[in-house]
Amino acid sequence: MTRVLIVDDEPHVLLVIRLGLERAGYEVASARNGQVALELIRKSPPDMLITDMNMPVMDGRALCEKVREELKLEFPILVISTIAEVEKRSWVPPISNTEFFEKPISLRQLVARLEKQFGRSSATVGNGNG
Amino acid sequence: MVEYSFNNTDIERYGRWIDRIAGVDHAIAICDAGGAPLWINGNERAGRLSEILSANAPGAIAWSRDTTAMQRHEIDARHVLLYVALQAANGSDLGGIVVLADHFDRDAAPIALDHIEEALQDVAAALRDEHYAQMERLGLAEELSERYEELHLVYALDARARKADVTSELFENVTRMCAEQMAVDVAAFIYPETKLTAFTAVPSKPIHNLDLVIVEMRGDLFRFVSTSGASLVLNDKNDLKRPYVFTDMPYKVLAVPVTSGSDRIVAMLVLLNHESKANFTNSDRKLAEIMANQLSSLLVIYDLLREQRTFVEQMAAALIETVEAKDPYTRGHSERVHHITMEIGRALGLPADDLENLFWGSLLHDVGKIGIPDAVLCKPARLTADEYTFIMVHPERSYEILRHIDRLKGALPGARHHQEKYDGTGYPHRLKGDEIPLHGRIIAVADTYDSITSSRAYRAGRSHEEAVREMKRVSGTQLDPAILDTFLKLCEAEPSWMGTFSIRREEKSG
Repeated sequence: MTRVLIVDDEPHVLLVIRLGLERAGYEVASARNGQVALELIRKSPPDMLITDMNMPVMDGRALCEKVREELKLEFPILVISTIAEVEKRSWVPPISNTEFFEKPISLRQLVARLEKQFGRSSATVGNGNG
Repeated sequence: MVEYSFNNTDIERYGRWIDRIAGVDHAIAICDAGGAPLWINGNERAGRLSEILSANAPGAIAWSRDTTAMQRHEIDARHVLLYVALQAANGSDLGGIVVLADHFDRDAAPIALDHIEEALQDVAAALRDEHYAQMERLGLAEELSERYEELHLVYALDARARKADVTSELFENVTRMCAEQMAVDVAAFIYPETKLTAFTAVPSKPIHNLDLVIVEMRGDLFRFVSTSGASLVLNDKNDLKRPYVFTDMPYKVLAVPVTSGSDRIVAMLVLLNHESKANFTNSDRKLAEIMANQLSSLLVIYDLLREQRTFVEQMAAALIETVEAKDPYTRGHSERVHHITMEIGRALGLPADDLENLFWGSLLHDVGKIGIPDAVLCKPARLTADEYTFIMVHPERSYEILRHIDRLKGALPGARHHQEKYDGTGYPHRLKGDEIPLHGRIIAVADTYDSITSSRAYRAGRSHEEAVREMKRVSGTQLDPAILDTFLKLCEAEPSWMGTFSIRREEKSG
């Protein structure tokens, strides 16, 4: 099963993404900030990291740097952020294999993005409309 | 409806709980609605219980699902099965707790039995409560994710609309976004009054006669939606509304009306899916309605701009008419030069804002002629050197008139320098080669062509072929060779303006 780690300080974001991805057949772990996420990744690296940018304790940027530079892990990263923040392109220098994803999250698009990466998951995929 | 069992419940915790209460002598299992064990405890009787459960696959023991009281079933002389059904708060069946125990002698051990029943009831209630909480959480998350979907759409639309000019391209961008966002085969925005139709097709399977489909939308479907004033969802192939909407359309349809400022329905957003795709849902309809609301706001701006544009064009037309009224022979000259200039500009692949400047520059290039005395302008004979001076100042005069209009700033160079010659012998500034602004060089080609092919006070218009010969002759001296080439290539395709402007043609020889 494809394993995804979601990192966001807002619990409702975690809840919604977790729900959507679990239904689409992914195994989901979550963390409330970069520090916690880093510990989880150290224990067992996921197949993909989805992280917010602005978080307390350790933000998304620092988390991504640590993943790439300290842990030397190259799994793909999706950075979820508001359109305004993405437009500012404040992520310089860029981090490899990283893509931005617009907030508020559209589950349809997120699931489609993951399908592009990992192929259609084996589980029955709901379309999010219940 | 949300489907959920005990996926997210730590069932083992409940198992261990019963285990502790019931004591080590009992094998205990928590089963799902199908009778399959989700958890089973680990003592030596567990194997026996597994056997019983699998041998008595769902429903083999006719436990009543209607009671939450403990039920019992004698297996053999030594063993008895105890069962407490698990019911969700809404009464649906979630499974049950099964205990395999030594045969209880009612008379000998009534207390033990009561004790176990109480414990099982407690655990069942706790499981039921947790299930209820999970369902609620799930329902909320479901609701939340739908709101997210809507928010995402609004943000994305807003971000695109904020940056773009409100032109027909914007509507194309929005329909494209809509098609991607909603993963539909076709998204179309239809505004019949203005003939504006923007659509995007990313079909999961090819769509035959898409053009025809669009035509049908503009007709019957739009009439239906604008009359009913409400969103229309057609999933079922045999829906009774279908004959009113499309004569022959196998697609699933979601059509939402779009109002103009005054609540009047002037346009609609249509989403189509092949039959093989999932039905349009309520949430799809809501999303499409949000999109339609945004389109309404854009439409108000679009209409205002369109009105303003019409006004400006009419003012320009009036201005041109004033100039051309002075000389009946130049009637239509500006319009023709403008038309040909724009064809060349497009063929050169100029960007949109450049084309906009070229649009006004070519249309108004001759307004300075207003300053030429009628006696000179309409003289049916060769001009004297003095008279010619009047002619030579007209581009500068065009510039002086037009520079008062801020919006035409970009159009000034084209109008001012359309009489420059490539070798530097033209007027008003004797610019040479690339010193001449590009727009001036383009207008010069169109202007030269029209001067040769149209009639003047002193001569009839000459043929297209003569014009081409003459223009080739002055290529590099009077005209920019590269632009002339582009123009000649255009002509090879026999453009429609040759007919519109009644250009004379030579008889084909041989």
